[in-house]
Amino acid sequence: MKFAKFIAAGILASTILMPVSGYAADKPVVGLVMKSLANEFFKNMLEGAKADEAKRGDYTLKAVGMQSETDVETQINAIESFITEKVDAIVVAPSDSRALVPPIKRAIDAGITVINFDVALDEKAKEEAGVKLAFVGPDNRGGAKLAGDALAKKLGEGAKVVIIEGNPGADNAAQRKLGFMDSVEAGKLDLLDSRTAHWETEEANTLFSNMLTAHPDIQGVLAANDSMALGVVKAIDAAGKTGKIEVVGFDNIPAVQPLLKEKKLLATVDQFGQLMAADAIDKALKVVKGGAPLEGWVKTDIKLVTSDDVK
Amino acid sequence: MNTSDVSQTGQTRIATTTKTVLREAGIGIALIVLILVFSMTTQHFLTASNVTNILTQVTINLILSIGMTFVILIGGIDLSVGSVLAFCAVVAGTVMTLPGLDPSTAVILATLSAVAGGIFFGLLNGFISAYWAIPSFIVTLGTLNIARGAALQVTNASTIYSFPASFNAFGSQTLYGIPLLFLIALVLVGIGWFVLTKTVFGRVLYGIGNNEEAARLAGHNVFFYKIAAFTICGGAVGIGAIVYMARLNIASPIIGIGFELNAIAAVIIGGTSLSGGRGSIIGTLLGACIIGVLANGLILLGLSDFMRQMITGFVIIIAVVLDKYRERLTKV
Amino acid sequence: MNESPSTDMSIKPLLELSGVAKRFGGVVALNGVSFNLRAGEVHALVGENGAGKSTLIKILCGIIRRDAGTIVLGGTPYDPQTPGDAKAAGIQVVHQEFNLLPYLSVAENICFEDLPRNRFGIVDRRSLHERARKALDAIGLADVDVRRPVASLGVAHRQLVEIARALMGESRILILDEPTATLTARETKRLFAIIAALKAKDVAIAFVSHHLNEVFAICDRVTVLRNGQSVMTSDILATNPDQLVGHMVGRQLAAAMAATREVDKSGRTALSLHNLRHPASPNESGISFDLHYGEMLGIAGLVGSGRTELLRSIFAADLPKSGLLERDGKKVFYRNPKNAIRDGIGFVTEDRKEEGLILNMPIAANVTLANLKAVSRYGLLKKHGEIALTQQLGSDIKLKYGHPQDNASTLSGGNQQKVVLAKWLANNPRILLLDEPTRGVDVGAKAEIYALLRGLADKGLALLVVSSELPELITLCDRILVMSNHRIAGELPRKDFSEERILHFAYKDERSHEHQ
Repeated sequence: MKFAKFIAAGILASTILMPVSGYAADKPVVGLVMKSLANEFFKNMLEGAKADEAKRGDYTLKAVGMQSETDVETQINAIESFITEKVDAIVVAPSDSRALVPPIKRAIDAGITVINFDVALDEKAKEEAGVKLAFVGPDNRGGAKLAGDALAKKLGEGAKVVIIEGNPGADNAAQRKLGFMDSVEAGKLDLLDSRTAHWETEEANTLFSNMLTAHPDIQGVLAANDSMALGVVKAIDAAGKTGKIEVVGFDNIPAVQPLLKEKKLLATVDQFGQLMAADAIDKALKVVKGGAPLEGWVKTDIKLVTSDDVK
Repeated sequence: MNTSDVSQTGQTRIATTTKTVLREAGIGIALIVLILVFSMTTQHFLTASNVTNILTQVTINLILSIGMTFVILIGGIDLSVGSVLAFCAVVAGTVMTLPGLDPSTAVILATLSAVAGGIFFGLLNGFISAYWAIPSFIVTLGTLNIARGAALQVTNASTIYSFPASFNAFGSQTLYGIPLLFLIALVLVGIGWFVLTKTVFGRVLYGIGNNEEAARLAGHNVFFYKIAAFTICGGAVGIGAIVYMARLNIASPIIGIGFELNAIAAVIIGGTSLSGGRGSIIGTLLGACIIGVLANGLILLGLSDFMRQMITGFVIIIAVVLDKYRERLTKV
Repeated sequence: MNESPSTDMSIKPLLELSGVAKRFGGVVALNGVSFNLRAGEVHALVGENGAGKSTLIKILCGIIRRDAGTIVLGGTPYDPQTPGDAKAAGIQVVHQEFNLLPYLSVAENICFEDLPRNRFGIVDRRSLHERARKALDAIGLADVDVRRPVASLGVAHRQLVEIARALMGESRILILDEPTATLTARETKRLFAIIAALKAKDVAIAFVSHHLNEVFAICDRVTVLRNGQSVMTSDILATNPDQLVGHMVGRQLAAAMAATREVDKSGRTALSLHNLRHPASPNESGISFDLHYGEMLGIAGLVGSGRTELLRSIFAADLPKSGLLERDGKKVFYRNPKNAIRDGIGFVTEDRKEEGLILNMPIAANVTLANLKAVSRYGLLKKHGEIALTQQLGSDIKLKYGHPQDNASTLSGGNQQKVVLAKWLANNPRILLLDEPTRGVDVGAKAEIYALLRGLADKGLALLVVSSELPELITLCDRILVMSNHRIAGELPRKDFSEERILHFAYKDERSHEHQ
């Protein structure tokens, strides 16, 4: 979609170029590179960061989002513009764990503090480029294991389950699948099938209906996000198996709250996305102000959410 | 035409009729072959519950494809249907969850607003492409972005949920194993078929698709018909949005991505020519069923996700290649 | 032109065909064609549409392969597999359909088969343009800029560019398929001069044409094809047009062709034009004349003189820039063709395939396209009514067809043209505008269309006929207006009809332009 990119570039240019002269000399400037703002999760995250900026008032935030989940080019362009602008710190949620390593290296070489959050950059790519960079983010694999373990505990050993995966190639999708696999192994579950529904409700609904035909004895579903869990729950309702199949999801979006309450969704995982960007910015500012550089993986909070947590 | 100074005899007439029947039936035969293959290779394909599943899964694409058939028949294309579906869904979702409405009023108002939203974008697509003679490919690429952006703007990128329980239940109801939602789509197929084959309106649409200038010089208002075709498509998208909500119980601004490609594929597999003027709604129905059966059957076969995607791609290409042969077969 | 070469049979032919046959599925296209071509002769190939001329040409230029028969070129067997083989053997063809690339320049089209390159492999513009310039000058087309895209040229000029392109290669044999169909008299003359020059260079020329006057003007020998067979070959001096037509149609129908309208039954004024100006017309004062009921009024003129534009502005196919129309004495303004049709006007367009017919739709759908009201109620089609109307009109106009539901593409050119006529007759028009009503139609069908048009005029319809074939206008019309450069250059009553007079007026403006 060239056209989409064109528009994105236009928005990008206008957001970046306009207020350059407005930076107060004393306040540090933080460039925030986000993923798709059409995604509720990232939109909330950005709002959290903006609230943090307003609350603290001691830094200036410049945020850039993408048009779609896979629009890597917009992110690269954003980082390069931030380098030109000589911002003090760049906080980036990479849409691709490899493609963004070279521009990030350029930023580091230019003396900018860079924090990688949400999705970790590829270790090997970092090594090859000679980049040392800490990662601030949730443990997707650990989170998935929390949800998976909840399911295993509910169903018991030998229960027949399927996994609904996220986008093939997306790092968080891969991590969540690994986490589910950990639970399957630890809980001695019987994994019948594992397929992608590309994070989408309608596709998950179709996919799970068909899985249910192929395996009528499914007892549990591990969905890699809540949007897909919504579609799965609807398929269970349509098949008249409400209450006979347990579902866990991930992300704790508002739309699953009623399902948790009705116990149609056993559990989901909250990674406190709203706080994640703000948290990463705080850490970046500490480094900018002379704090010790971060190292390795700085894990952010995750929490299992069940019907008990819903009022 | 120098080689065929045709003086047709009764015999060639029968031959032509047979060929025409063969040509229309070709898609049906392909569908039957697919069904046979999956019945023999998988255990559960022909079970009642799976047939119900397939029909449910076909429904939304079928409704969009009916609208798309009208647009492709006049030689246009509508790339905006997926985005417009999202727009209609969030508008309808907003209306449906307005506080203080009783459930049935809420559903009726929501349905009307979804269809109105679809018609609005249909009019916009049709008017811009007909008035300034801009290829609809470009215009709808623009409205694709406009509708998606509008949907995000309206909802601030959040998902709308908690629709009336009765609406929710309606979405999964069946009649003798046939989903009610699919019956809605079948009624639309019937209407589409009637309009295209039995009315003056349909005849002129075919005429415009085949030869716009000839139709104009025969006294037909091409401008009106072009807008009408896009508007019908938009209205179908509005209905598709309501069906989506009934089936999945959510409305989100990021739904429907890529739906336009599935709809176009169903129309093309169904034998409608991308250059316009040739095709039928029955073909589109069969085309949508082929896509649905294929998606369902390949999962039951246990093929990997990536293999499924490849096979679906191959089937689209094979269908279009076969169509070329059908075209040759029917040439005298 | 009559210095024909010796017809001595001892001259060794350059190309010799014997017993050439070709079938497409069940349809026999060629069934034993034998004739020969000699160096330095112009050999006419004539026959009705469907006689096999196009198939024969396609075989000679390697587009399709023959099933049987032998072809000998310059003493060796000739069996081209591709058009490239034919070109390599020195056979060049100018096809009836254009094979030009519309968005490339004239120069690029002319030199497309062998674009001049510099040593970096990049197209050498200067020599490209020089070569093309030379090629166009050679055929007397000095007024065309070689850098213009072909799409911006009119049909006549495109045809000449096509000829220039064919002449770029070394040719031993040049095949011209209906080269004059889109040319005006002046351009035809130019083409004939080119042919004479090639002939002097010992090139053998096969000339395919419907126009017997051209055949008799420039050809040395003639071969008649009928139903895929060669039925006669003759020295041109030893035959006459009636004999050729007799062989072509297998029957004598000279009577129908020759019958002329004796009485002028012109009645009331049906349509008056007052300074009507087409948007593309440079003539600010527009065009004015009256058309009467029962009258056949001819419009003659060169290609580009504004004849088609005149009809289009009357019919509101293009909105006139200024001027007004009076219909039965009342002022009218048509905003679109729909208004004109409602007012009893029909328009048989020049280009059947682009504007007149919907080839991929049934004959019945074509016949009723302009009058769907007659075969519908409340917007619903009545299939029976539609078929009945088609059958009735079909028998009125002697349409040869299989079934009303067969596609229009199954018909021959002449019958397709009749379907276009039927479409307008279904509307019971009072005025019929006809643009080249017999283009690409064979001799037999032409006679039938003439009779049909005469019958319509006798019934009181007003007919306005544009044609590039002067004999056609002279045969049919009661009165002829000659257009030149978007104005009426002259008017001729029936008693003054002659080709010279018409041409005199047609070139009037051209000449005054040259003097400026």
